[in-house]
Amino acid sequence: MAPLIEARDLTKKYGAHVALDRANLKVEAGRIVGLIGPNGAGKTSALRAILGLTNYEGHLTVLGREPFRDRTELMNECCFIADVAVLPSWLRVDQAIDFVAAVHPRFRRDRATAFLAKTQITGKRRMRELSKGMKTQVHLALTMAIDAKLLVLDEPTLGLDILARRSFYDALVNDYMDETRTILITTHQVEEVENLLTDIVFIDKGRIVLDTSLEDVATRFIAVAVTADRLEAARAEKPFYERHILGKVVLYFENVDSAKLSAFGELHTPSVADLFVAKLSGDAA
Amino acid sequence: MNTDFWLIRREFWENRAIWLIPAVFGGLLTVAALFGRVDIPTLSPGDHSQEASGIFLVAIGGMFYLVMSLYAGWYLLDCLYTDRKDRSILFWKSLPISDAKTVLSKLLVGMVLIPLVYFVAADVTALITAFILSIRARASIGSALWQPGVWGQIQILWMYVIVTTAVWYLPVAGWLLLVSAWAKRAVILWSILPPLVLYLIERVFFGTRVIGHVLSGRLVGLPAVAYKGWTNGGNVNFDGHAPANVWHFIDAGGFFSNVQTWIGVVVGILLIVAAIQLRMRRSEI
Repeated sequence: MAPLIEARDLTKKYGAHVALDRANLKVEAGRIVGLIGPNGAGKTSALRAILGLTNYEGHLTVLGREPFRDRTELMNECCFIADVAVLPSWLRVDQAIDFVAAVHPRFRRDRATAFLAKTQITGKRRMRELSKGMKTQVHLALTMAIDAKLLVLDEPTLGLDILARRSFYDALVNDYMDETRTILITTHQVEEVENLLTDIVFIDKGRIVLDTSLEDVATRFIAVAVTADRLEAARAEKPFYERHILGKVVLYFENVDSAKLSAFGELHTPSVADLFVAKLSGDAA
Repeated sequence: MNTDFWLIRREFWENRAIWLIPAVFGGLLTVAALFGRVDIPTLSPGDHSQEASGIFLVAIGGMFYLVMSLYAGWYLLDCLYTDRKDRSILFWKSLPISDAKTVLSKLLVGMVLIPLVYFVAADVTALITAFILSIRARASIGSALWQPGVWGQIQILWMYVIVTTAVWYLPVAGWLLLVSAWAKRAVILWSILPPLVLYLIERVFFGTRVIGHVLSGRLVGLPAVAYKGWTNGGNVNFDGHAPANVWHFIDAGGFFSNVQTWIGVVVGILLIVAAIQLRMRRSEI
């Protein structure tokens, strides 16, 4: 099967600034992919391009379509939440449901109302009267009632407190995700999404620096807490990053035999956040 | 078709001023008719009652037209900008609706539906105030202000005004939409400044007034093109002796065969296409 999203040499320039620099990316169906990168790395530009919100250079197909040219058709099968604050303040909850139900062929009204029935939100409320967490719930109700093949979330929990964030992700995993769907998500809160992701993509300075499944992370990357006396020997195996904490040194290795490394100290699989820091600082050094 | 209907419905949800302003304005005129000083000379039947009725209806219509022009202009200037300002554009763009449809729905609302709402409001206000004034001036409704023939003709005139206004001011509407899709702030300033600067540059460097002539011709030139007898005399002339006949006054053939009309249409279409292109590319303020 062709990948759901395929980008080759995807480039986006804003004047002299290159936001995406020949980025390559493949996303297969049924995955939950985290697109992770520092501020200004090109995350938002990549999502904008994938959603057809901006034009670009290079090759890009999403669900077999060219997003910028075919955005209208693409949105029949794909939906996105680009942070929570985008529902217009004058819109009433019932109007929002009526509108989406009327214009979206894959919207299931019963699902949206069932989701909202579990909340305190009533139909006559306007968005400006709702708290940020409630707005998220409305937006989520609208989005999850759409039978989309691809859901894109851009910093979906920005500005939400921890309770609202937690319930957002719980609803996403429990009520929405199944094997027919694919989710692409960007966030700063890596720890929060780590255990729901199946794949991670690191982006830095407009380039994709890592694109792997989490299963592969375990075999590919090893972190070793090395004591000082073994440090030189361990360094000979060419770690790509070193981290000094509390008198210990943690070395990060890629594609090095774990049997060899176990001689230097305790092995563990790095967390996504650690790997992110290691990969980005290490490659920069 | 369904989507078009809901896009228009959405505009009426968002902009309640579309009907609130004419309702309030009509209410104020009614209050004025109820409690204001009545200075209508007592009219004997068959005297100048048709003329009086015509002037009265045109005066009411003219006031509504003035308010409508200001509001419709503001609406067109604000509609695309506001989506970007409150970031709700990201919600609208997550739905399978093309940007062309969105922009055209706003054009239709601004150029046709808002005038129609004002037309209805003007009619209702004219009927109510004519009734009130007739009683207060102690003239019988039938003979003075209530002239069904004149009233019927005013309906035709209004339709003609709406059509010619929509066609003639298409380039103005296109320009306002373009600014609305483009400006990062201060839409009013941006809508006025570029033409003004062009005008001044031409004045200062070339000593000519071609641009000023074109602009003022467009802004105030409609009556001369659309009505007979406007250029020589400049008076709205409902002939008091012959039965007032709006067909003597309307110059549809002249309007639609005038090259200025069609130059305006072409420029308008180009500006609207540009506005759609900007709407496709710009989602940020």
